[in-house]
Order: sequence, then C-alpha cells, then structure tokens
Amino acid sequence: MNFSKSTLVGAVSAIALAGIAGNVQADYPEEAISYVIPFNPGGESDITARFQEPVLEEILGVSVNVSHRPGGGGAVAWSEFQNNAEPTGYELIGVNIPHIIGQPIQRSDAGFETDNWEIITFFHSTPNALIVPANSPFDTLEDLVEYARENPQAVTLGGSGTYSANHLDMLRLEREADIDLTYIPFSGTGPLPAALEGNHVAGIFNYTMLGVQMEDRVKVLAVASEERVPALPDAPTFKEQGYDIVGGAYRGVAAPAGTPDEIITVLEDAFAEANRRITEKQEPLGFVMEYITGDEVDEIITQLREAYAPILESTE
Amino acid sequence: MDMLLEALASLMTFESIITVLVGVSAGLLIGSLPGLTATMALAVLLPFTFSMEPLQGLVALGAVYMGSIYGGAFTAILINTPGTPSSIATTFDGYPMARQGRAYEALAGATIASVIGGLVGVTFLLLLAPPLARWAVAFGPSEMFWVAMLGLTLVASLSSGSLLKGMIGGCIGMLLSTVGVSPVGWETRFTFGFPAMQGGIELIVALIGLFVIPELLSMAAEGRSNITESGEFGKAKVGIRQVARHILGKPVNIIRSCLIGQVIAIIPGAGGNVTSLVAYNEAKRFSKDPQSFGKGNIDGVVASESSNNVMVAGSMIPLLTLGIPGAPPDAIILGVLLMHGLRPGLDLFTESGVLTNGFILSMGMAALMLLPVGLLGARLIHKVVIKTPYHFMVPAIAMVTILGTFALRNSLLDVGIMMIMGIAGYFLRLIGIHAAPIVLGLILGGIAEQGYVQTMLAAVVDPIPWLRLVENPLSKVLAALVVLGAATAMLPAWLERSGRLDKGSPNRGDDS
Amino acid sequence: MILRVNTDMAAGGFGLGFAALLWLGGTDIGRLSILFPRAVLVILVAFSLLLFVKGFFRPGERSIEISGSPLRLLVLILLLLVWWFAIGKLGFVVSSFLIMLFITWFLARVEGPVSWKRLLLWTPIIAVMVGGFYSIFTQVLNVRLPSGLLF
Repeated sequence: MNFSKSTLVGAVSAIALAGIAGNVQADYPEEAISYVIPFNPGGESDITARFQEPVLEEILGVSVNVSHRPGGGGAVAWSEFQNNAEPTGYELIGVNIPHIIGQPIQRSDAGFETDNWEIITFFHSTPNALIVPANSPFDTLEDLVEYARENPQAVTLGGSGTYSANHLDMLRLEREADIDLTYIPFSGTGPLPAALEGNHVAGIFNYTMLGVQMEDRVKVLAVASEERVPALPDAPTFKEQGYDIVGGAYRGVAAPAGTPDEIITVLEDAFAEANRRITEKQEPLGFVMEYITGDEVDEIITQLREAYAPILESTE
Repeated sequence: MDMLLEALASLMTFESIITVLVGVSAGLLIGSLPGLTATMALAVLLPFTFSMEPLQGLVALGAVYMGSIYGGAFTAILINTPGTPSSIATTFDGYPMARQGRAYEALAGATIASVIGGLVGVTFLLLLAPPLARWAVAFGPSEMFWVAMLGLTLVASLSSGSLLKGMIGGCIGMLLSTVGVSPVGWETRFTFGFPAMQGGIELIVALIGLFVIPELLSMAAEGRSNITESGEFGKAKVGIRQVARHILGKPVNIIRSCLIGQVIAIIPGAGGNVTSLVAYNEAKRFSKDPQSFGKGNIDGVVASESSNNVMVAGSMIPLLTLGIPGAPPDAIILGVLLMHGLRPGLDLFTESGVLTNGFILSMGMAALMLLPVGLLGARLIHKVVIKTPYHFMVPAIAMVTILGTFALRNSLLDVGIMMIMGIAGYFLRLIGIHAAPIVLGLILGGIAEQGYVQTMLAAVVDPIPWLRLVENPLSKVLAALVVLGAATAMLPAWLERSGRLDKGSPNRGDDS
Repeated sequence: MILRVNTDMAAGGFGLGFAALLWLGGTDIGRLSILFPRAVLVILVAFSLLLFVKGFFRPGERSIEISGSPLRLLVLILLLLVWWFAIGKLGFVVSSFLIMLFITWFLARVEGPVSWKRLLLWTPIIAVMVGGFYSIFTQVLNVRLPSGLLF
C-alpha cells in the first residue's frame, strides 16, 4: 500500500509546478539552502555533509546550512520533511538506503514513504564487511561458515541496528550459506569497536569504514561489494568466495516531491561536482563514491527492495 | 619526552593561547544555557575547524568541550538547572547554597574543583592511556547491565524522603526511556500512533523540563525570585582563598571523585551523565555528616564538578587509543580526527605524537584557563541573576529553555514534551516524587535494556540464558557491588523509616 | 494554600495510572522490544501497590502545600502552553515577544499596579532580548527557528 501513491505524487507535482513556474527555475538558487541530516552529529552522514557544505556553497553561490534532526533512526525527520517541506529546491534532506526501504515496511507508523520525494542522487555507498578480531579462530569466511554449520546459533555477530544494512546482509548470508547465526544489534557504529576488541561478539557485520579504521587490529573476512574496495585491497569480496551478497548503505540527498526538474538537475550537478572534489578525502576512509541519479535511483531502490522485502516480511 | 616538549612548544604561541581562551569562553557560554550541550557546542564549532590546522582545530574543540562541561555548573547553582546533564548532581547542593546567599562560594568551589578535575584527567590521559584502554573493552553487554544496575542503587540516596517514591520515580524514568524505537528489535514502542514520537523522549528534554519548569512555576506562585532573598553577593562571607583552602583541606573527597570520574569515563556509553552522580553519592556515603548533603554542603558541589571535568580528558582514552567514543561529544572529536586522516590507535601517540600530545596538553591549558575565565564569568552571571527582577527572570529563563530544547533536535514537539513533563514534575514533587530519580531512570534505562537484551540474545544457545549475566569475572564483581551498594544504601533508609514510626515527625527538610 | 492529600496514595495512584497508560499503548510489540519495558512495568506496579497500601495504614505526609498564589501558578502554566502553541502558529519572534511582555506585566503586578510608563519601558528591553537570542540562534548556532508572521 505504501508504493502506489504515484498518481497522488503526480498530481501534487503538477500543482506545485503550476504554482511556482516561471519565477524560480531561471535564477535558482537565490537564497540559502537548508540541508537536514536526520542523524546525530559525528556520524557518517554528518561527516559527509560537512565535507560537501563548503564545496556546494562555492558551486551554487549561496550558503548551505547543515542542521540535524535526529530521532527514530531518521524516521522523525523524514516524516516531517515529506509532510511539510516546500518543493522550491531550498529544502533538502539526507536519505539512506536501506533505512528508507525498511522502516515503512516494518513500522505501521513510520510516517513516511519510500518514494514520496525526488531523490536527487546517491553520492556514496559503504559496503558491508564481515570483520573479526585479530585473535579470532576464523581466518577466512569459509572457516566461519563451517563452524556455524556445525554449531547453529553459536556464532554471534554484532552490527549497527536491527533490519539495518548490516542486519539484512547478515540475514542474506544465513540464507546463501544455509547457516544459523545470532545477530546482536548495537546502537550505531560507535560501540562496535569495543565489542570486537573485548571479544563480546565473535565478529561484526559493519561497513568497510570500520575495517579501515581498525585495520591493524582486525581481520576483514569479506566485503559485500562487486569489486574489492580501494581502501581494503587485501579483503576479498563475498562474490569471490561464492556468495552473491552485494549490499550496504547508500547515502544520498532528496528534495520534496514535485520539485521542478530544472532545479533537480542543478542540484544533481552540484552534488556530483562536490563528490569529485571530496573523493580524495573520502576514499581513504572506506567510502565508495557513487554517481547514481535519475532512473538509476529507482532501479537501485527496486532492486534492493526486492532483495530485502522477503526477509523483512518473513520476520513479521 | 621530546615529543611532549615539542608539543608544548607548538602550543606556546599567541594563536594557540587565544584559541584556548576563546574556546573556553564560548564553551562556558553554550554550556551554561540549558539545552545547549557540549555535543552541540562541538557540532557548532566543527565547520570553523575545517579552515584551521589539525592541531589548532583540535585545540579549539578540546577547549570548548572543557568549557561547556564546566559551564553547566553555573546554571545548576544559580537557577537549579543543569546546563548539561553532567552537572545534575551539582544542583543538589549548589542550588541550596545559592538560596542561602552562598552562591559565590558554590561557584568558586565548582571552579576550583573543575580545574583540578580537568588537570587530573589530562595527567591520566598523558601517562596511563594505553593500559587504561584495555579496561575499556572489558565492558560487554552483561557488564553494562550491571553498571546500569549499580547506577540505579543511587535512587536510594537521591530520593529524599520515601524510598518507595524514589523507586517509583526511577521506574517511571526507565519507562520514559523506552518510548520511541527500541534499541534491540528496532520497533516503535509507546508512540500512540504519532510518527514524531518515534524520536522518543530525549534525556536533555526531560532534564530541562523536570528541573527548570517547576522552579519557574514556584517563583511565579510565590511572587518572588528564589535566590534574591539574601540579596548579598556572598563574597563578603567567604573569599576564594578560603574556598580553596577548604577544598584542599579535604583531599580525600577530591581524590575519590577524580578516580570515580576517571574509571567511569573509560566505560563506553556511561559518560559524564553518570560520573557526577556516582561521585556525589560516594561523597555523601563517606562523609561524616551525610545529613548536610542536599542542604548546601560544598563538598557535594566539589565531588560533582571535579569528577565530570576529569571525564573530559578521561573519555579521550578509549577514543584516542581504540576509536571508541566514551561520551557523546567524543563522537564528534572522532569525526574530526578521521577527517584529518588521523586513525585512532597507538600510532596516534607515536607517529603523530606531537599532534596528539599537543591536543592533550591543550586540554590541560584549557583547564587552567577555567580559573580566570570562570571566576570572572561567575561574578558577571551572578550579578546579572541577582540584579534582574524576578518578573524579567521568569520569562527570560523560559525563553532560553524553549530555545535550548528546540535547538537540541530542531523539534517543536520536544518543547511541548519539556513543558508537560515540567508541569507534571511540579505536582509530582509536591507528592514526594522528585526529579532526580526520574532522570536517573531515564539515563540508565537505555543502558540496562540494551545490556540485558544483548546478553540474552548471545545466550540463546545456553541452557539457562540468564546465567550469562554473571558469567565473566568482571560481571560477577559488578553484580556483587550492586548487592553491596543496595544493601548499604537501603540500610540507613530502613533504619530511618522504622525510627519514623511515630507519625508526624518533622521530616520535611528540602522540598526544593 | 494547603491541600489535604494522602501523598502516599497519590504517588501510588500516579504510578498505577502511568503503568496503565503504557500497558494500553504497548500492544503488539515484538518479544525483544517488550521484554525490558514489561519487566519495569511489573516492578512499577508492585511498588505503586505497596505504596498505595502503605498509605492506608501508615501514611507519610497527609497534606501538601502550594506556597504562594495558586492563581498565578495556574496562569503561568497556561501561558507556557499557549506559548508553545503560539510558536507553531505565529513563529518564534512574535509569540515570544507578546508572551514575554504579558508574563512580565502579570508577574510585576504582585508589587502593585503597573503603570503604562513601565510597560513602555519594558517593550524595547524585551524586544532586544528576543531579537538578540533569535539572531544568536539563527546566525551563530545555525538553528532554524519556527517562523510564522514576519520572521
């Protein structure tokens, strides 16, 4: 029921277009742009926005104000944005996959819909990685899978959040390898290094960033990307090891539904250019830069929704 | 050693000193406004540090952090409102002191304690970071559960009057902490169908509401300010020297508080919110005159403020060595380190040792700077608070609280929650349910829940899952401490209660 | 004003009421998410009942005192709630200015009637206070305050 609102969206955008046509597009942008981050300061989304801010300001010639609206794993800000933001191109919000896919499926009162906005671009992704402590008995993914096959549920894997990118791909690993693991959710990425160092869990399913950050104290058994990640050249992918798992978190930015195409294009270009200029700083941290725009956005959402929906629904 | 000297030299520039001075002052200002936390202060500063050299940026952040944690004490003492959650315990004795016209004494005591605490924390960080870091990762889910339980034994000493009412307050606080998205399971709870409630009840929102609003309401009802009664600056009675002499004359209190601050700072996730409460509790427990606590005993202020300023540098230990943020503001410092391409780990102390040591030393410098800045600021703010007529005071404080609450998450709903909790808090106080146990429950509820459910999840293969809670040696020790703490805390309360059998005994001391 | 209330029973009753509220709001939650709140709810109910029963046999305080004027208390409560509501409708600046002026006038009346002159004197002071904080928050701290009329 959440995904059949396209007619409504269409109607709304038509009205919006009629209302503001003629005076906005030509000189956009003229005033300050607000860029809401639906998470706490200090996280991956925030760090990226801080990198982008000065570059965007330079390209667009207006100030870009980053502010935070945390709560409910992003849902509070997203529901507010979909209900209140004006489609003028001066209000933007950060969006994350799989959050925007998972929450509306899983919660009856998430307050937002996966596609009730114009996603301008996904500018980077952080693939999932299976990480174990340096002193772990598992040296390869195969070791872990074999042990788990003999000892169902005995292998505990930590990760950030429930039904997050981490959790969903762990569930995919369970299906692909036909094993039974125990997932232990932590609140965010912050507590995971301690869980790993202190051997509170056998391993963690988290993003490549953490693998880079803790490079000398952990073993990265597998990375859920198509190709090896530049910052972790020695870590094999799941695909290389025979498991078809490609996933992670995608971060992007959205404008309200009905924002004129001209404005979307301006922003698309600005974010792409910003991406190019901050690549040098972001890649070493473990980010994978992406330039997903237009139809590709829908494609990737559809593709991941198909991958995750059965898992999400079977757990209801 | 060379590295240390080199770092020191790099700090002894005019630029660095000005950065620290401005940082401490700005932090103090932000920290003293209820709702504007140290985390927020750092987030605001973040963009400015981009244009600076890495060291300069870190120096500024460290100074702001130190200043804002200290700034919380100002409002805690003067208007019974913890500017940051870490100064909750400062209100217990600081505010009664202010009402007795001893505000300056309390402020001076808080300043000296903060300076000492800050310096002690820096010393620990410089000398003992690697060994202490091992301690940080020892706290897994089951240990965290017991840490939260240990914190909950504080309810007994925080509930002035009836223990049962304190317990009810603690339970209410814990239940409030469960509103919103559950930490394990990621489901929405108790939102009553409002999407905006998914954000839950933020600790600071509840804190501001429960502490400030009742104070404003009682000022309005009584038709006068709560602290102008003595009118005097309070300086006439006790000077800064005497306060210093008093504090240094009781070294045990300050040493104990600093140690508690350091130990708790290292435990990831407990943070400064808890340190000051624990330190306060222990100061009271070991005092020769526990009855005077809560009625204006400067030792309570000293315990709280010294321990929370130890936490500033103390929580950097797991951060710098392992990349584990010990307290929420540390997450931002971690972000800055990563942005400058600095990876937490022992390399930070060797390869980029000059930078790291410079950062650490600058925090020491910031702690020292608290003394002049703080005493001057204390005098100014105190004068403003005393001179302002109460009919300006009430709306002005209300406006600042509204702004602070809103700014926290850009949420108008939070403002409403703050007000409703505050109004409820006023009436609950009348029937004997005080704010402190509720806030304590709110702080610890999340920690306890996460620790408990994670432990149970990991124990899914065990025959008796809950035995996992006391499986590790450390969790056994902590569990024993909980039992011991509960027993020693309950015993006096029990004795007092049975001694109070003859009803109508005059046990209504501090209703503020 | 002194009210005759058995505080033990009042506190116990409040605990029970609060528990009931959450109990009703807590249907249809998964096992992992309800585990902890349910345990706390049970404990809360137990303590509340205990206190309630204790209130019968060995009550603590049997009266509460609202020091000062209950009318001023109620008016301020009302004003705070109106303020909150007004921020959403009129914006921060306008509503804060009006309500702060009103509260100041209302509270100053304790000392006697307030002359127009004083009120006129306060207007710029309050305007500067609101304006000052507004600009600090919007310009320096980068917080977008709710806007309605004018700002």
